[in-house]
Amino acid sequence: MLDLLVIGAGLTGLTAALRAAESGLKVKVIAKGLGSLHWSAATVDVMGYPAPSPVAAKNPWEGWQSLPAAHPYHRLGAKRIKADLDAFQAWTVALGLPYAANADPDRNTLLPSPVGAFRPVYLAPKAQFAGDVASRQPMLIAGFDGVRDFYPQLLADNLAAQGQPARSVLLPQITLTDRHDANTVHLAEALDDPARQTALGVALKSAVQPGERIGLPAILGLRAHTQVMEALTRITGATIFEIPTLTPSVPGVRLTAALRTRLDQVGVRVEAGMEAIGFNATGDAIEWVETSTSSRPIRHRARNFLLATGGVLGGGFSSDHTGRFWEVVFQLPLTTPQDRGQWFRPQFFDPAGQPVFSTGVAVNERWQPVDADGKIVYRNLWAAGGLLAGADPIQERSLEGLAISTAMAAVESLTTR
Amino acid sequence: MKQIETELLVIGGGSTGAGVAWDAALRGFRTILVERRDLTHGTTGRYHGLLHSGGRYVVKDPRSAVECIEENRVLRYTHAHCIEDTGGFFVVTPEDEGDYPDKFKAACAQTGVPCQELPLKEAFRREPLLNRRISRVFEVPDGAADSFLATHATAQAAQLAGATILIYHEVVGLLVEGGDGDRRVVGAQVTDKVTGEDFIIRAAMVINASGAWAGKIAQLAGIEVKVIPGKGVMVAMNHRVVNTVVNRCKMPADGDIIVPAHTVAVIGTTDEKVADPEPLRIHPWEVQLMLDEGDKLVPGISKARVLRAWAGVRPLYQEGFTGQSRDATRALTLLDHQARDGVRGFLTITGGKWTTFRLMAETTMDMACKQLGTERPCLTAKTQAPGVEQGHYWLGHRLHAVEEHHLQSDLICECELVTRAMLQQAVLKNPTVTLDDLRRDTRLGMGPCQGGFCTYRAVGVIHQMQHETQGAANQAMPTTIQPTNADTGPQIWDVAHLQSPAHNVDAPHRVKMTAGASLADANLLLHDFLQERWRGVTPILWGQQLKQERLDELIYLSVMNADHLPRSESQSPLTDFWQFDTTPGAGE
Ligand SMILES: Cc1cc2nc3c(=O)[nH]c(=O)nc-3n(C[C@H](O)[C@H](O)[C@H](O)COP(=O)(O)OP(=O)(O)OC[C@H]3O[C@@H](n4cnc5c(N)ncnc54)[C@H](O)[C@@H]3O)c2cc1C
Repeated sequence: MLDLLVIGAGLTGLTAALRAAESGLKVKVIAKGLGSLHWSAATVDVMGYPAPSPVAAKNPWEGWQSLPAAHPYHRLGAKRIKADLDAFQAWTVALGLPYAANADPDRNTLLPSPVGAFRPVYLAPKAQFAGDVASRQPMLIAGFDGVRDFYPQLLADNLAAQGQPARSVLLPQITLTDRHDANTVHLAEALDDPARQTALGVALKSAVQPGERIGLPAILGLRAHTQVMEALTRITGATIFEIPTLTPSVPGVRLTAALRTRLDQVGVRVEAGMEAIGFNATGDAIEWVETSTSSRPIRHRARNFLLATGGVLGGGFSSDHTGRFWEVVFQLPLTTPQDRGQWFRPQFFDPAGQPVFSTGVAVNERWQPVDADGKIVYRNLWAAGGLLAGADPIQERSLEGLAISTAMAAVESLTTR
Repeated sequence: MKQIETELLVIGGGSTGAGVAWDAALRGFRTILVERRDLTHGTTGRYHGLLHSGGRYVVKDPRSAVECIEENRVLRYTHAHCIEDTGGFFVVTPEDEGDYPDKFKAACAQTGVPCQELPLKEAFRREPLLNRRISRVFEVPDGAADSFLATHATAQAAQLAGATILIYHEVVGLLVEGGDGDRRVVGAQVTDKVTGEDFIIRAAMVINASGAWAGKIAQLAGIEVKVIPGKGVMVAMNHRVVNTVVNRCKMPADGDIIVPAHTVAVIGTTDEKVADPEPLRIHPWEVQLMLDEGDKLVPGISKARVLRAWAGVRPLYQEGFTGQSRDATRALTLLDHQARDGVRGFLTITGGKWTTFRLMAETTMDMACKQLGTERPCLTAKTQAPGVEQGHYWLGHRLHAVEEHHLQSDLICECELVTRAMLQQAVLKNPTVTLDDLRRDTRLGMGPCQGGFCTYRAVGVIHQMQHETQGAANQAMPTTIQPTNADTGPQIWDVAHLQSPAHNVDAPHRVKMTAGASLADANLLLHDFLQERWRGVTPILWGQQLKQERLDELIYLSVMNADHLPRSESQSPLTDFWQFDTTPGAGE
């Protein structure tokens, strides 16, 4: 019998599973898809914009009074989140994909985005972290002719407009691959080949000027990322850093792979391609969750269940034209208004976000879903991550901080029962 | 104020205005067309996409039906590449009126609309998703038409014949000379919307082809023209559920047609009198009605993913008409203001359909010739528009070219198969101010992700072009377009092949802008296009499309932080239009 069935294999689900396994629980993860890590920049954002503002929060732990009262951060508290992120960072080091943090734990770091805006992040893969704009060390942004998911000139011009000296160079794509249908993952795979690393290093060496660091699209190796970084640094003699691209996100693919390798090592199975289609409860306890697969439905029994299916993006919620909005696995009560008229604002870029995205599953102080009266829905069910009510993690830039810390908190709660 | 002289001034860059400019130029008139935004900004770019056989009007409006079938035949020759030969069905569902189908059959015969009753088995074989309770099916020569391409091709044809096309030029006044009883329109005052500059165009004849705005233009000469703006809402479904145009066989009503358009299917439409042609709200009940009615033709269609909703206004006109807009005639109306109002030099062409735009132009120019005292025959029916050698559009057209030429990694818009070279050519060969203009040229951003992936890529490509230009000329980056004015020579208009990946294979990666053809600042382009796309999805955001929208947020907020980019001071001339609130229930 499983101690815990985690539903969802995004950052929340994987974090929860790993934490639970480390605490000695017997765990399994089931998921329909891969989670949104493959789409994101794979940095750990904690809080960039607690309130609408043209500038990012310098200190991620401040300004929380503007967040909704139901925001999960109020319950977690800065201290707990910091500790959870320290633990996460330690994992990444152990996994050989080290994440770096600002020397001052009360500071966000600003990193270049694919359009050259400054992204406020808390932790980032080491390769991205070297793009910190604080030092204003000049940048050479290098891209590849014909690569459609990265535009170095646009990036350099926007960085320069914000006071970060930058110029760009376009290298012929042939340096990387002769595939005619290459996406970012293919390009990264091509760079796993040492001969290509050398060719790229030589091309960069002739383009870089003294004192410049070199920013490249985040395609510097898939499995051989560390070697690629070392080779390019050695050949050019310059600091090399990665900038996220349009999806698929190679840093996200790397992080997922690393976490899943670790889960494998500690004996946690991650079963993908399994959509939860039903469940059974006796009294107030869930007995099993049923998934559909190509061959037959399968029932997964466990003592405890953790719902980490994400919000609208992860597929945890669905909705229809009548304004009905529901949680797809357990039909949990939601804070979402069942009326499309209350979901949106007229501007795509409204600084306060779209109202529908900060609604979702309400939980009590033990991270257990509750109804409108605060009553626990199922006594062996927990919830974490993007489906929680009270936060709009994309708008706030708190996506990964929220995922990691609520996952760890929920697991801690169910193990200390 | 600067003055330009011409013989003919056409106001409005929809299908009608482009048709008039084409007809006039072929008859040898010096012609200028002015459009206040991009071509097809008006109703022409927001219609249902049906090349009418006339079947819809055979019982109710036979005159319009005859016009449609005649023009249907002509356009298949002059604009073949803008038309997909889907054919059309008129189907009798259990809800449709008892004797209408027989009346329909007889009326088709009377009006000359070819119509053949199909065995049900054959109809269901061809359209397996059709409601199985349909009892009769008639086949007519309906088609699906791309009005963006058709209008651009017509404008190019006009230009090849010597006309000047000025987009982003708005008529703000008409020049009227003479006193009571002998008034004459001699030209117009025009504002260049990009530079803000005003100038005068003097003309021997001014043609008002401004569609639903015709009343406002006529007002500038003190003439009352009561256009009945009939708003219609359409919703595009993510799947091409039918390959044939499917009409209900009944008196025309709401939501009774599904048109397969490129990779999607469009359900339409409604007909509601509104006060103004824009901005247009889309109410939740209207979307709901389309889905409910769609279900009667293709059961379950309402559960499918909806891509987008939009609305257009019919420029309906009927002298003295006071009824419902649904009942106003669809036939064309030419107002001879000399006979009607005692004002010479001014004609208004209104009513009609997209399908009849060429006929509308011919009728207008026949009258113009008469009033100008010259006899010149109409040549449009025998003149093919540029690009016609590509033959009828077919669904696999783009995919075939992309696969044939291995263009996969060049796809800027993967939903609509727009390659980098197509985009660059569109920027070079057609005056462009916004990404929305490029959408009309190439279909950029019109697919399921509604700009999610292609907005960033298109901005990156265009910015690189701007940069290459700047490097070459060693001058400051141009931040606004300067559409070429009539006195500074013709622009390069070559739009006939913009929609074809195969015609844009060998474009080099590094492309420079042509002089004058520059766009707004990259960050503004990005911002504006995302807002423009948002405006069209908010009425239908639920289910899969809501998830898609959240992914677009992840990309543009979380990964890009594009909402915190440095904003340029320059304002796009279109920004205001996209700020309009289209969220469900807005303004109710
Ligand atoms: C909902 C709906 C569905 C339809 N479906 C079909 C269909 O399936 N098949 C079919 O054949 N027909 C259809 N029609 C009809 C058809 O779309 C219209 O009859 C046709 O597009 C009208 O074209 P137009 O050029 O006259 O007007 P418009 O396309 O509206 O052009 C007028 C232009 O004038 C410009 N303008 C306005 N004021 C000024 C100014 N001051 N200065 C300069 N320019 C100005 C506007 O910007 C606009 O671009 C549909 C109409 C509607 C509303």
